[in-house]
Amino acid sequence: MDLDALLGCVTSSSCLVTQTTSGLIVGMLLFMVAAGLTLIFGVLKIVNFAHGTFYMLGAYIAYSAFMFTGSYVLGVLAGGLGMAIFGVIFERVLISRVYGANVLMQLLICYAVVLICDDLVKIVWGPDFYAMGMPPAFQVPPLFIAGGVVPPFYIMLIVVALAIGGALSLLLGLTRIGKIIRAAAHNPNMVSALGINTTLLYSLVFAVGGMLAGLAGGLAAPVRSLTPGMGFSILIESFIVTVIGGMGSIGGALIAAVVLGLIRSFGTIGFPLFTEGLMYIAMIIILVFKPSGLFGKEIV
Amino acid sequence: MGRIFRDIAIGILAIAVLAAVPHLIPGKAFQDFVIRCSSMALFATSLNLLVGYTGLSSFGHGLFFGLGTYSFALLMQRTGISLPMAFIATLLINAVTAVAVGAICIRLRLIYFAFVTLAMQMLMHSIIISWVGLTGGDQGLQGGIPRRVVAGIDLGNQYNLYIFAAVVLVIGLLIMRHIVNTSFGTSLRMIRDNEARASFLGIVVWRVKLTVFVLSAVFASVGGIVMSLFVSGAYPELINWPISGDAIFAIVMGGVGSFLGPTVGTMILLLLNDVVTRQTEYYGLALGIIILAFALGLRRGLLDFITERLGGRPAGGIS
Amino acid sequence: MKPTEPTRRTVLTGAAAVLAAPHIAGAQAKAVRIGMQATFSGPLAQSGITHRNAIEMEVDRINAAGGLAGRPIEMVYRDSKSQPQEAARVARELVNSDGCEMLLDAESSAGSFAVQEVVRDLGVLCIHSSSETSSLTADPKYRVASAFRSSRQGIHDAIVGGAYAAKVADARKLTKWATCSPDYAYGRDTTAQYLEYLKHFKPDIEVISQAWPKLGQPDFTEVITKLIQARPQAMYTALYGGDLTAFINQGNIYALFSAMQVFSVNLADYTALTAIKNLPPGIATGNRYVVTCPDTVANRDWGEAYRKRFNEYPTNWSWQSSTGMRFYEGAAKKAGSADPKKLAEALRGLTIECPFGVDGTVTMRAEDQTVVGYAIGWGTTLTKPPYVADVKPADWGTIFELETEWKKRNGFI
Repeated sequence: MDLDALLGCVTSSSCLVTQTTSGLIVGMLLFMVAAGLTLIFGVLKIVNFAHGTFYMLGAYIAYSAFMFTGSYVLGVLAGGLGMAIFGVIFERVLISRVYGANVLMQLLICYAVVLICDDLVKIVWGPDFYAMGMPPAFQVPPLFIAGGVVPPFYIMLIVVALAIGGALSLLLGLTRIGKIIRAAAHNPNMVSALGINTTLLYSLVFAVGGMLAGLAGGLAAPVRSLTPGMGFSILIESFIVTVIGGMGSIGGALIAAVVLGLIRSFGTIGFPLFTEGLMYIAMIIILVFKPSGLFGKEIV
Repeated sequence: MGRIFRDIAIGILAIAVLAAVPHLIPGKAFQDFVIRCSSMALFATSLNLLVGYTGLSSFGHGLFFGLGTYSFALLMQRTGISLPMAFIATLLINAVTAVAVGAICIRLRLIYFAFVTLAMQMLMHSIIISWVGLTGGDQGLQGGIPRRVVAGIDLGNQYNLYIFAAVVLVIGLLIMRHIVNTSFGTSLRMIRDNEARASFLGIVVWRVKLTVFVLSAVFASVGGIVMSLFVSGAYPELINWPISGDAIFAIVMGGVGSFLGPTVGTMILLLLNDVVTRQTEYYGLALGIIILAFALGLRRGLLDFITERLGGRPAGGIS
Repeated sequence: MKPTEPTRRTVLTGAAAVLAAPHIAGAQAKAVRIGMQATFSGPLAQSGITHRNAIEMEVDRINAAGGLAGRPIEMVYRDSKSQPQEAARVARELVNSDGCEMLLDAESSAGSFAVQEVVRDLGVLCIHSSSETSSLTADPKYRVASAFRSSRQGIHDAIVGGAYAAKVADARKLTKWATCSPDYAYGRDTTAQYLEYLKHFKPDIEVISQAWPKLGQPDFTEVITKLIQARPQAMYTALYGGDLTAFINQGNIYALFSAMQVFSVNLADYTALTAIKNLPPGIATGNRYVVTCPDTVANRDWGEAYRKRFNEYPTNWSWQSSTGMRFYEGAAKKAGSADPKKLAEALRGLTIECPFGVDGTVTMRAEDQTVVGYAIGWGTTLTKPPYVADVKPADWGTIFELETEWKKRNGFI
């Protein structure tokens, strides 16, 4: 434990700026993965344990598309689109068969998909780890803001993630389909009784969730290593985020993701050897006082 | 009463058969298999006390399995007490821990209960990884377990450990079987089926939930002790999240509604693991396809499926 | 092997004799089975695969030359999935069910300790070719008579790295240091040892910040910014593989590598060197495996032969497993037999010709049954192949001297 260092950091503007942006970037990428997870749970009451795999596949597809086209933007879009399609297939072929089944049966099916996809990645791309490399447009020196160091690439990531989060809220809040999705989350039978095609709706939700995870994987590919099984650590953190935020609450996921990012960035200064334990303690404390997460609906 | 005697008789018969098998089939792979099976089956069955009988889906039951391996191995390495004493002390440590953990967890419901138990397990995992001086951190407890002799029988010898594991498994299953057949077991099922009604009928729900949480933790730690003897130590992987996953898959594949479902599921999983890893390095691909076939084909555990086919209704079960 | 209990022995005497007989009574040409277990799945699958690649090369070569004392080698590979309990099970199965007479254990640290306990129980001959944890062979508490090691060791790397860094630090007046290593035993131990020897050679350095990211952590941003905040002049890192790649890619956009001199013990491995797209020049790195260290024809040839066959350069894991197989080969030659007991006897103190030896040979030191004399050195990175320049092999005289001191200090001798 190094509380002096932590105190020193929060009282210095350069450290505060640097660590806050680093917490934000970790948090925003996490939010994109967690948003899909929480959306799927909110509407379908499905806990998608294969969500980390969406992220992994998105990163690999983006990597290949980048290698093929040389364009980072196309790479990211390919990752998002590929995972939207994958999400629909996953929902139609597998998940649709276990709606209403026990959560453990869903867990089993998702686990099987994780196993299969990790090996498929190994077969298609090989067991080596890859790095996409920084797109030339972002191979520039970092900016200095109030004495803190902030790379332009990360500013772009934060802006893009915020934009996507904003678009998602607008979609859910203002459009007709968004209203239907929210209504379905509230009362699926009612939506179905109103003659709305729930099959299409459920596929759509998985497409959006998959796309978000795929985009996150693609966006992160220039700076993170691609290995089979890379989705797992993201999955665990996304679950912490969705549970703390309240399962089904996208706003809650945003706040929890940022909080988690900040715990990591300041925890590494104050408690360098126990950062991970800190995240679990935060989760337990929040659940003890708010048994359905910060913004979750009470389950009765 | 008759049922108890019948169960005990079946148990004794099972031990007798297992004791004889190595004399008929040479090769130690079978013994290794039974030892691991004993450990995991106790663990999975204990989890099913929560999942199948009480309707509490825990994702973090591996906490007690792992704590069992660590407390037992540490007691054997660091203190001079005998193996049976270490065995009992391990159960006590787990019971006390389970009271504390359970008191927090059982307040939560459904998926939140599942995740808070997982967080508890991962917190314990973080502590074990960080407390290098005591636990050896990620390297695990090295140097083996000393003094594995009970009443003149050396459990370092594989055949002895095999018999020990078989006996522990049978006794553990018999006790758990007895527990679910008592009125306490009836309370569990009532809570599972309708908590409000159970409460209305005078069952103190939290007390029953906490009791079964502690009981299941104790049996999970017995599985941990057997594993600790098998690997002669304790490793962080034994308290990491996948170990909870293994137990969950075992009970789902074997059948949550049948008492022996978790044991059958454990056998299926271990067999798949042992056979498939020998054949291919694409173990995940093969196992994943088999699991999918299982889950989508049967849509329930194997024993539940068989019971239903035979026209019965599984005793436990979740919907 | 521990004696089985009497009852079973009496019952089985006849049967067992018949079943066990093939190994003994069979013709001399019967294959010697060697069990090899490693991680072939998950994020670390590459380690098992490149171990196996090297072994296959050696097995083909050895078998073409007549095998172990006339008996061809037959490898049995198993995946332990990076789990110590699986490692223990698989090791037992290889010996008990698959008829392996010896093991080549390619488990990383925790797994190698689990295998070590199996080796202790079964008394089987085993060469560890992956674990770099020094205590596995140095600490008499863990040592087993039939277990050997053909992989490099943390303590050797620390001494060599410390000496090299001290020289650079002296020349460039680098006194403020930071470290960034994975938060597990390997990372913590090697970092502590490295700093110890850095201070031994240059007492006036000061460590101002230490970061401990998790193994396999996807994002190192908060660690990188913490390091930048501390403003050290030099930094040591024991990160490796995909973690190191991610760290360098993420560090690049913070211009970390121009802000301080980085010493990366594990960078000079082709897996990392080729995966990083914009490798910063001038990072000091220890040699994991590069074809230019040792800069000999034998090493180049071996590296090229491997590349031709597997379409990529070998890894640190590859040379270590290759060396393990060469030790089995050399021991069989010396003993004139493939009997594990005789091989173990022959291995102690055995010196063999080897492309990875600093003077063309490596030795299985008798006192702690571990390999010494392998090429170990430091150089600096280039942005293009051959990626690493000026690799200076270290002097084993200094290593031995300081290693002995270290063992005494820890009560190992």
